[in-house]
Order: sequence, then C-alpha cells, then structure tokens
Amino acid sequence: MSLIDLMTMAKPNKELHKKILDRLWRVNPDECFQCMRCTSGCTSLKLLELKPHEITLLVNSGFVDEIVSSDIIWACASCLKCKERCPQKASPYDTIIALRNLAVEREVKIPEVYMKAVAQILETGLSQQVQTVASRDMQPFNREKLGLPEMQYADDRFKAVFMKVLGG
Amino acid sequence: MKVAVYWGCKIPTAQYAYEMSLREVFPHFDIELVDFKGASCCGGPVRSINVSAAMYLSARNLALATQTSLEDLLVPCNECHFMLSEAKHRIANDEEMRRKIEEELKEEGLTYSGNVKIWHVIDLLHDFVGTDAIRAKVKKPLKGLRFAVHPGCQIIRPSEIGRVDSAENPNKLDALVEAVGAETLDYSEKLDCCGAALLYSHEDAALSLAGSKLKAVQGYGVDGFVDTCPYCHIMYDARQKDAATTVGGKLSLSVLYYTQLLGLALEIEQEKLGLHLNQSFKPEKFNL
Repeated sequence: MSLIDLMTMAKPNKELHKKILDRLWRVNPDECFQCMRCTSGCTSLKLLELKPHEITLLVNSGFVDEIVSSDIIWACASCLKCKERCPQKASPYDTIIALRNLAVEREVKIPEVYMKAVAQILETGLSQQVQTVASRDMQPFNREKLGLPEMQYADDRFKAVFMKVLGG
Repeated sequence: MKVAVYWGCKIPTAQYAYEMSLREVFPHFDIELVDFKGASCCGGPVRSINVSAAMYLSARNLALATQTSLEDLLVPCNECHFMLSEAKHRIANDEEMRRKIEEELKEEGLTYSGNVKIWHVIDLLHDFVGTDAIRAKVKKPLKGLRFAVHPGCQIIRPSEIGRVDSAENPNKLDALVEAVGAETLDYSEKLDCCGAALLYSHEDAALSLAGSKLKAVQGYGVDGFVDTCPYCHIMYDARQKDAATTVGGKLSLSVLYYTQLLGLALEIEQEKLGLHLNQSFKPEKFNL
C-alpha cells in the first residue's frame, strides 16, 4: 500500500498537523512548495522509496495518523542532505524525527535497535557494551590488551536523571 | 594545547583502532588529549525516541567537558559531533530549551556554560595544526599512493549550525591526505552516505549503500579509502565483505581512519595504530 492509498482512505486532521509543528524548532513544513529537492538527493529514495517531499505534504495536509503508523518514517538514513538543501527551511529530516517521536509516544511499532540503545544507556550510560574485538588474523583484543585506559562510566545519579528526562 | 576528548559510544566500546591512533598521533603536534569521567551517549540513537532527551544527553556531556576547565573539546565521531554541536546551537538560541536543560542538569549538580569549542579530527588537524605543520612532521611520505576520502554526512551538514567543512564540496580531508604525501581524487560518489544509520533496521539497504560506494571507488583504481567516523568505518571496513554481496562483486579495498594513515607517515608502529584491527587493510599493498 502506498502513502497515497493511505490518504484516500482517511480524513485529514489539522490538529495533528499542529502537533507536529509544535515539536519543531526553526523549521516549518508549511513553507514547503514541493520543489522536491529533498527527494532528488535522498539517500533512501532508490532503495527504500523514501520521498521526503511526500512526507512533508502528508503532514501539511493533516494525514499525520497515517504517516506516523507507516514504516516509511524509519527509512531515513539521517544524512541531513534534505535539511541542508531545502530552500524553504522546511527540513523533512526534522519532520521525520518529530513523526518518529510521536510514533514512540503512541507505542506504534518502532525498530528495536533504538529501544535497545536506550536500555543500554540506562545500564552503563553508553549505547553499547564494551566489546572484545577480533583482529584481522582472528585474535581477540579488549581495551586492556590494547593498552587503552579503563572506562570511566557515568554513575547511578545519571541513570536516575535520564530516566526522569525520558519519561517527561 | 590541551584538549578534552569526548569519545562517545562506538569508539571506546569497539572502534579501538580510532582511539589508539588518535592517542598516538596528537602528541606529535603538541596536542594533549585529556579524558574526563562519566560521559554518556551523545543522544544520537535517542533522538528518534525523544528529541529533548537526546538534547539533554548532549548538553550533559558538554557540561562535563567544561568541568575540565579546558576550552577545547575534541569529538572524533561524526554523529556525536553533530549532536553536541546542534545542542550547543539550540541552547544558545532557544531560551526555553536552555532553561529546561539547566533544570535537568542541576539534578546531577552540573552547570551548562556552553563555553567550549567543539572540534573534530578534520578541523583540529586542518585548521588548527595546519597542513604545513603536518607536512613538516612526516617522516615517511606516502608517495605513490592514491586514496578516496569519505568525510561522511553529519560532520559537513547542516551548515547552519557550523560544520567543519563545506556541505557540498568538502576538501579538508583531501588536503590532510595530501599533506602526508599521498594523492586523492575527486569522485562523484564522494558525498554518498555510508548507510550506518539503517544498519540495524534495514540491513540490506544499509549494506548496499556502503557497497555501491566502495564498488565505484574500487573502479577508480585507488589504493585505499580514508574515513574519520566510527560508524562509516564499521560499514566500509568490518562490513565490507557483507556489503560486497549486496552489489554483486568482490570488494578488496583497504579502509583506514585518517589518523592511522597519518600515523603511518609519522612512522608509528602499525600495532600502536590498531591497524591489525582493520579487517580490510592489506599492508602488502602499502609498501611499508
């Protein structure tokens, strides 16, 4: 089902459009005049059919419910080309991130990797555990063996504050 | 000069070659790297979940860095550099966000001043050290070698928050490679993204992005590929074989961090630069 199919079945909701605008700072999708400069340079266009100008149009038309529950918002590679090149400072990148945040709030399906990263941050402060890596000839190496200093992790106070910040 | 270093997540937990080569090369230019305690994730992966929580994480790391009372902060990861730079820009221009973050930081006894200059490897070496000073320190010029450089995305965009090089025509990394005696080339895929941000959600697409760039570069007959970001490096080095399968071809390209290349030209031992950890590196091709 394409994004256009989603639109034909739904009624636009302008209040939700405002909800997205409220999440943006110095970025205004309403200024978009569909020049498609974003889409023509989009990293995820060819392989994943991401069309940033379409996302912006859907948001502006009030089809936020439809786009928030679509997997397409998770196809952005965060290369920031659209943000750089948009002549109207409408930055589809920021709109996509705002849509992702809304998807998370509504507990729509989201790629597991982001939740895993958050769980890991709550454990050590970092998004990934310290690893033993293999050299080219398959020998294991860790920080100590490589002569790198010991890790100095964030303490429990950080975890408590971060938990609160995430919740709020 | 003393510079505080924010290592982020990928570098100190897995991309050890970058950390090792950074620690090795900077002292050659009278730059002392100073670690600080308690750093957390920059918020990169949190951004998709909650933008303001991500902003808090970045601001927190900036606040910790200022506690060292150093005025300069090196952030060698492209994504972390983007996140921290953006947070600094936003807090400086958005009163509401600044107040919110100050409140949050207070709970940990931290204060945010914003008085820290954020550097990346590319501008610290190119703009502060300078290519002439690098050229003067080179002991073994890498003559006859030709490299394609990959500055990455988030280090050059968005220019409105101040990035290290031109958004559309970056050439500082080229100049740095030329400073160690090697050649670079201008190529049409130079700005193509490595795909790392999609690796865990859209693996095939991510690998195919990395693979098509490497395939093109290999076709230009270069001796290697130079990057400066742990995410890009994972895609081009460790995942090179997987990337090859998505573009139907054999890839055999030595991928190095710039700091490793610089280290070779300074005659630092390969093991100290972590070159044994580069899965794609073929020392025999480098005449070392």
